[in-house]
Amino acid sequence: MNLIYTSDQQELIDAAEGFFAGEHTIEYMRHLLDSNASNDTPTLWNNFTELGLLGLVAPEENGGLAQDFSVMAGIAEIAGNVALTEPLIEIAGISVPVLSEMGATDELSAVISGELKVLPVCGLSGMVSHADKADMFLIGEGGKARLIDKNNVTLTPLKSIDPLRKLYKVSHAGDGLEAIDQRGTVLNASFLCGLSKRMVTLSVDYAKDREQFGKQIGSFQAIKHQLANVHTQIEFTRPIVQLAATQNGRCVHQAKVSSIDTAMFAAETAIQVHGGMGYTFEVSLHMFMKRAWALCGEWGDRNHHINILETMILADDAELGPGTTFNY
Amino acid sequence: MDAVFSNSQNQFRQEVRDWLNTNVPGERLPSLDTQKGFDLHRAWEKKLHAGNWGMVTWPEEFGGRGCSLTDWLIFEEEYYRADAPLRVSQNGIFLLGPTIMEYGTDDQKERFLKPMAAGDEIWAQAWSEPGAGSDMAAIRSKAIRDGDEYVITGQKIWSSRAVFADWCFGLFRTDPESSRHHGLSKILVPLDSPGLSVRPIAQLDGDPGFAELFFDEVRVPISNLLGPENGGWGVAMATAGFERGLLLRSPARFQAAAARLVKLYKQNANRLSSGIKEEVLKAWGDTERFTAATYALVAQVDSGASISSEASANKIFWSEMDRTMHRTAMTIMGMYAELEEGDGAIENGRWLDGYMFSLAGPIYAGTNEIQRNILAERVLGLPRQ
Repeated sequence: MNLIYTSDQQELIDAAEGFFAGEHTIEYMRHLLDSNASNDTPTLWNNFTELGLLGLVAPEENGGLAQDFSVMAGIAEIAGNVALTEPLIEIAGISVPVLSEMGATDELSAVISGELKVLPVCGLSGMVSHADKADMFLIGEGGKARLIDKNNVTLTPLKSIDPLRKLYKVSHAGDGLEAIDQRGTVLNASFLCGLSKRMVTLSVDYAKDREQFGKQIGSFQAIKHQLANVHTQIEFTRPIVQLAATQNGRCVHQAKVSSIDTAMFAAETAIQVHGGMGYTFEVSLHMFMKRAWALCGEWGDRNHHINILETMILADDAELGPGTTFNY
Repeated sequence: MDAVFSNSQNQFRQEVRDWLNTNVPGERLPSLDTQKGFDLHRAWEKKLHAGNWGMVTWPEEFGGRGCSLTDWLIFEEEYYRADAPLRVSQNGIFLLGPTIMEYGTDDQKERFLKPMAAGDEIWAQAWSEPGAGSDMAAIRSKAIRDGDEYVITGQKIWSSRAVFADWCFGLFRTDPESSRHHGLSKILVPLDSPGLSVRPIAQLDGDPGFAELFFDEVRVPISNLLGPENGGWGVAMATAGFERGLLLRSPARFQAAAARLVKLYKQNANRLSSGIKEEVLKAWGDTERFTAATYALVAQVDSGASISSEASANKIFWSEMDRTMHRTAMTIMGMYAELEEGDGAIENGRWLDGYMFSLAGPIYAGTNEIQRNILAERVLGLPRQ
């Protein structure tokens, strides 16, 4: 029982964090917004490969780093912190381990080396961001994982509120698979935690900068307490998400529900702290807020996960109470 | 990162479970804020101590088992699973004890820890004053050196357990020229000292759970000073950290309450409105979040990190979770919620007692408003007012 990262694991996460902070900046996101440029920047993908991120959880014999899935969840959180636009987490955190489990070693090696993009599809929605950049899709169908070539599906463009999500409906989405959906759910929850944290940071920076009544607005308790509330919710969401990255079961659904609630709360608080500026396209907050709104519904929305929790918790044979958190 | 208990941890859990199964009283004890209840709870502490279960994290020389904090969480899980009695000695074993281990002299450890662990000396807290509540640095009660003694004059309030307890610990101004958090010292005082009068205050439930203390030239030896003279603020903050943190409120008590809430919901489901179901799920979910977070915090502490301002988020979360959960229970009980006894009363008013107690959570151990200030200023880095 040790619910923290080892120093080696933490080093990997810190290295990725440094890289994201340096490369995936707000300026870069603005450049994508202004130019409507492709968010498929080759230099970023080269770096993902070099840092070993694509093969993070793949076996060593396939060129991976054989890390625990919980490390991938840590990477997803820091990706959320910068609202990463590229579908790194989906490929490295879902497609890679499932390809490995399928024994699809050729595809696995190609994905790890960055030559092939395999995007997972959530059977619940069939909506995939950056689907136009995929070479293949990974779906769950009839209880099995299946690869489909891009030429065998039709992509219908959709318009997301998040301008950095190039969203498509995939014509063949399958009916889901636990190996895909559980990982998607946990990584999505981690990403949401990162977004929530960033929205607090942006708000703190703004509250220290903005003055009214001759004072920084961050010195007022009305502002402090709102941000302290969001901070508290984040502190009590990250650990259940980390737990969900180390064991399956009901904590996975709780992790998703809590990360949704926390992200929506963080976004609403952040815009309130930013005041009128938060309502503009000019201030960066909206990019993180819109990503949060979009991701809340991915990999099973709140209704979906609450309904599952209900059947688990209210079941007659449900084991509840002290000592039932782990391995249930 | 892993979420699996080791074999020795599972073995420890079984050992705790077996002992509690044989020893926990069959009936719930009367409130510990009555003389009879207090005496029965003290007897329970003695029984725990005799089995070497009084405070498992303490070193063996002071009556503990030298267990890790993870073992402590396991112990608590079994303790609340068995619905064992509340800890009447909690001010001592959870708050003062760890502070003595950190700041006390060898003589103080020898003198105070053993009777504390044995339930022979039950401790009360004496922090707040009529003019110093949230603003604790406004303390005015004085302890003036006179040879080998301090002479204490002043007044304390909201002193938990003081009506039936044996000793109290608190902050007193040892430098009369000082102001704010300077010049304060942490001093230990026997509650039967000449010149010290205890006036019980009835709590919301009518029982005298706390008291006012009047000090009229109360003399204690200077060996009752804990930590540095005039450096009591830092010592007190250490105690407050323990209190907000994981010792006082481990997840198990809330998990036990959430499990009872699910049961209450199921028993009454056919007459409830549809929104209640999600409130019940939220209560369960929040206790799971609190559990995961506590195990993560314990892992950090076991790896050498110290808890400071982070404890404030902890205190806000558990106290508000507890209140919300009990309010949900009150809603479910509906027309029967007011009943303490009689036809229709549910669990002899236990939820009602719990609801009243949960209302104190966001107030004691530093109000949640103070905790939010601490988080905003010391963790988020927002400017002081």
